Amino acid sequence: MLTILAGLFALSIGAGFVGALSGLGGGVFIVPGLVILAHVPMHIAVGASLISVVATSAGASVAFVRDGWTNLRVAIILECATVTGAVTGAYMAGLISQPALELLFALMMLQSAWFAMKSQGDDLLPQSDPLCARLRLGGQMPDDDGTMQPYGVRNLPGGASLMVIAGVLSGLLGIGAGAVKVTAMDYLMKLPLKVSSATSNFMIGVTAGAGALVFLSRGDVAATIAAPVALGVTAGAMIGGRVLPRVNTNALRRLFVVILVLIAIEMGWRAWSRI
Amino acid sequence: MATVIASGEEDRILRTWTPIILRAILLASSLVMAVGIAQSLAFAPGFYVRRFHAVQHGQLHVRNGLAQLIDEMRKGDPHGTMTIGLFLLTLVPLVRVAFTFFLFLKERDFVYVTATAYVLAALAVGVLLGRVG
Repeated sequence: MLTILAGLFALSIGAGFVGALSGLGGGVFIVPGLVILAHVPMHIAVGASLISVVATSAGASVAFVRDGWTNLRVAIILECATVTGAVTGAYMAGLISQPALELLFALMMLQSAWFAMKSQGDDLLPQSDPLCARLRLGGQMPDDDGTMQPYGVRNLPGGASLMVIAGVLSGLLGIGAGAVKVTAMDYLMKLPLKVSSATSNFMIGVTAGAGALVFLSRGDVAATIAAPVALGVTAGAMIGGRVLPRVNTNALRRLFVVILVLIAIEMGWRAWSRI
Repeated sequence: MATVIASGEEDRILRTWTPIILRAILLASSLVMAVGIAQSLAFAPGFYVRRFHAVQHGQLHVRNGLAQLIDEMRKGDPHGTMTIGLFLLTLVPLVRVAFTFFLFLKERDFVYVTATAYVLAALAVGVLLGRVG
């Protein structure tokens, strides 16, 4: 038992650590880790990963909420879209074949790799559009001097549509889908990047929680795997969060992109050979 | 002006209490899961290994009710304890959204009451879908 536990802890601490350093979350690494290295069926890996994503989101979002980076109103409104998608995706996961899920996961990893590589701007939108102003979605964020800078928000329908897709992917594949969420808020709704990342981190807990509840109620969460994985990923993410300010993230980002592409090829090949 | 003041107060309460809720439940669930793993190590290592191999072969599909799990936990069954820890963990988002719902209800901010009520309802639908799926 010690060997199995040590293996699960090593895998999940590593996934949480790399997930925190890359900004992609542990789910993108824990699912292929469990499928390829621990030989666990895909739907059990997805269930375990969803639980661990809830834990890492709860741990990581505390500081962002306290320090005012998270836009709570945007999160609450967009959670309606992500939760709808997550419940749908988690339900569909019980109906889709394992190779199809693995192939979809491989494609999602390539999207995450693209997201990690792309350049990101941080312009502030001066004013919200009428719908976002009516919902009081605009906010303030501290600049380098600590002065609060107001920012506006736009295109809620476009952002919410992409959030439904992020939710479906989260429920289907056991990931936080942070790359899709940040893209929706940053590109479509013009939220500042750091606010988008903090708000995405906060929303990921509810999205993954919705999917995890479907998996738990269906009996697709194996406690023998999910409990050590949740503890390990949380510990790994905490260590990663402490190491992050002291490392060259640009160099690491390139390394993670290579790792993501290699895992995507392995997952895609495994799936393709069984279709 | 009144709306701005109410909105600022809601924000302050949310930013103070949300981290406390998140941390408290995360800590409680982690402790329960750690106790379950320690119980497995101390009293039922063979049982754990058999369950792990059954999961690897897709042969384990356990759908216990909450009452049954609590009963297992009280009897010192590691599986029951670990699963209760996992259920506790899923309470993190649920309690956080429920807290927000009541806060907005108190402030009579009905757009956000509706949004949080929708999220809570969707979470409940998720549980029901899992039961029938």
